[in-house]
Amino acid sequence: MASPDTFQQQRAPFSPLFRMALREVMSGRALWTLLLLMCPLVGYSFFQALTLYGEASVAARQSPVLATSLSPLDGVLVPTFGSAYVAVTLLFPFVAIRALGREKETGTLRLLVQLPYGAFRLVLAKFLAVLTAWLLASIPVLSTLVVWRASGGHLALPETLNLILGHLLYGALIGAIALFAASIAEGAATAAIITLAFTIGSWVLDFTLAGQPGILDWIARLSLTQVLRPFERGLLPSATLLGVLSAIGGFAALAGIWVPPGISTRIKLARTVACVVVSGLIIVVATQTKRSWDISEDRRNSLPLADEAALKQLERRLVITVHLASEDPRFVDLRRDLLAKLERVVPNFEFQLAVARQAFMTAATDERYGEIELRYGTRSDVTHSTSASEILPMIYSLADREPPAATAGADYPGHPLEANGQAPLVLYLVGFPILIVAAWWLSRRPPRIVRFLGRAAR
Amino acid sequence: MPTLNSSVANEHRPLESERSPLIEVAGLTKIFAGQPVLHDVSFDIRAGEVLGLIGPNGAGKTTLLDAIAGLLPGVGGEVRFDGKLLSSRHRRECLFFLPDGLRPWDEQYAVHIIGFFADVYRRADTDVADAIHAVGLEAVLHKRVKTLSKGFARRLMLALGMLAPHPLLLLDEPFDGFDLRQTRDIMGLIRAVAARGRTFMLAIHQLADAERVCDRCILLADGRVRGAGSLQALRALVRQPNATLEDIFLGLT
Repeated sequence: MASPDTFQQQRAPFSPLFRMALREVMSGRALWTLLLLMCPLVGYSFFQALTLYGEASVAARQSPVLATSLSPLDGVLVPTFGSAYVAVTLLFPFVAIRALGREKETGTLRLLVQLPYGAFRLVLAKFLAVLTAWLLASIPVLSTLVVWRASGGHLALPETLNLILGHLLYGALIGAIALFAASIAEGAATAAIITLAFTIGSWVLDFTLAGQPGILDWIARLSLTQVLRPFERGLLPSATLLGVLSAIGGFAALAGIWVPPGISTRIKLARTVACVVVSGLIIVVATQTKRSWDISEDRRNSLPLADEAALKQLERRLVITVHLASEDPRFVDLRRDLLAKLERVVPNFEFQLAVARQAFMTAATDERYGEIELRYGTRSDVTHSTSASEILPMIYSLADREPPAATAGADYPGHPLEANGQAPLVLYLVGFPILIVAAWWLSRRPPRIVRFLGRAAR
Repeated sequence: MPTLNSSVANEHRPLESERSPLIEVAGLTKIFAGQPVLHDVSFDIRAGEVLGLIGPNGAGKTTLLDAIAGLLPGVGGEVRFDGKLLSSRHRRECLFFLPDGLRPWDEQYAVHIIGFFADVYRRADTDVADAIHAVGLEAVLHKRVKTLSKGFARRLMLALGMLAPHPLLLLDEPFDGFDLRQTRDIMGLIRAVAARGRTFMLAIHQLADAERVCDRCILLADGRVRGAGSLQALRALVRQPNATLEDIFLGLT
């Protein structure tokens, strides 16, 4: 049993550490409570979504045009997953905090940090356990995909996976923040307050700064609630993806800095500052990337294929200057329906917002308010329309190109389904809770001692 | 008159002067809120010995063990292992500290904690079974750590110490919670493991226990070392050839 040699860290396997971290998360009541609360929350949202989608589908029987607007992503998946978002925001921190907070509270951390693992491997094990807990907590919401499919509903795999990816990133970000909070707080209650300050504070940030001009708008876009929005629209933006991954890495690194007890607070603070600066720079650079992919089945984030092909051929710089306030609904529509789409296809494109927010309040005094100025190379034109069908021909005219002919057969057909939400509601209000309680009971049964008992029992 | 460790071990062990220092502690100093809790603490721990850290409550025993284990920030002084300077982050490669009163991962079953350590240190199942048997943990393997009695929680910690492969084990109050017979059994186990070459440093506040199990003792009071050595050396220090450890402690503090 004794060895005169020192024990080297690199020999220690990672899997026992991960298993123990997972056991810690699963042995707490927080995860099981979250699962139980998820069932009615998800179930009722799913029921409502199915009911509304079914009613719209009945109406679409009379009008085929209406059917083309029936997308399962908007009609069913986003509202159902939205309920999980609320639960993850408000309840998942308590699950994630347990992964580290319990060991801090009981003093077990003093034993854990002596094991042959570096602080960052410890945090990695905790983080992976938290991600696994997120997957378990997401079983109710993920099961709605199965129920929807079994009911005859249509699922477009890329946009569905993209939505799940968005929620996974959001859950991972909340988990990383919770681990960081647990690493700096002495108790779980303080850690919970810190984490909720991030999540709920983020909502406040979003409400108060969204639509403001300049730097305030950029700060508002750092809000956690912004993470999910592009994924819910079927968009996979590199800026959000890289920004969130950088933030997760930053919070995990901060947790790694604060976990070891044998390092002075002064040194930890210095490392924290360095980590925040480096992570901040990475996030700023990451959020500047413009690349994004339209994953939606109905290509809602893209211009028609023929237009995209023509716009990709534009050789000179296209600049659109918008004389609208950023919170003006016309600008919001213009940005979503045209500018964002142009950004994704025109090789050399820039748009400028010429009006500060205050000017919107006195829009009547600004003669140019409402103008959309297009400049292609040395040529320019002005319009007051924010419609793509008006502006695109102007761009082709400035570039001396013929507007492309529309491609036939590329329209989204829509996927109406007259589904009944009653049966799934029973499943989520009764069936799943029973299964969860049974799984909880099974997880708490004493283990059968087989591994060591052979010799130990003698 | 009992002598240090004479009652629990019969193995031949080298004389005190024959052993080489495994760990050398020099000038450890720790100040909390302007008050020194460790004041220039220096001593050595010799390979294969059982060293007692003796002192009343508040003497700084736990703080000293924390400082040696590298779990306490802002500690002055140095710790050397085999003559080489050991930074705080490398202490865990040479020594393992079992804190007092700890119930590790208290929501888990005892067997899972044992299995965790066995897997981390890649211990063979036979070694694990030996450790379980040695500390008498068989009956509670299927229980959650939080439901264990104080004595069994200590046995669990001791089993974890047995599974850790480090040459030096630091134990804080290892006999607290045991009755007389259990204390004697655990002392016998510590002596047997030490006889196979492992080194122990035990923080003990019961002087009678220390007298029975330790080869040498460090007497600590108010964060200062008041005396160090075998019972014979300490008796010589106070010039009382028949003094007990209690007499010596009272004489030096």
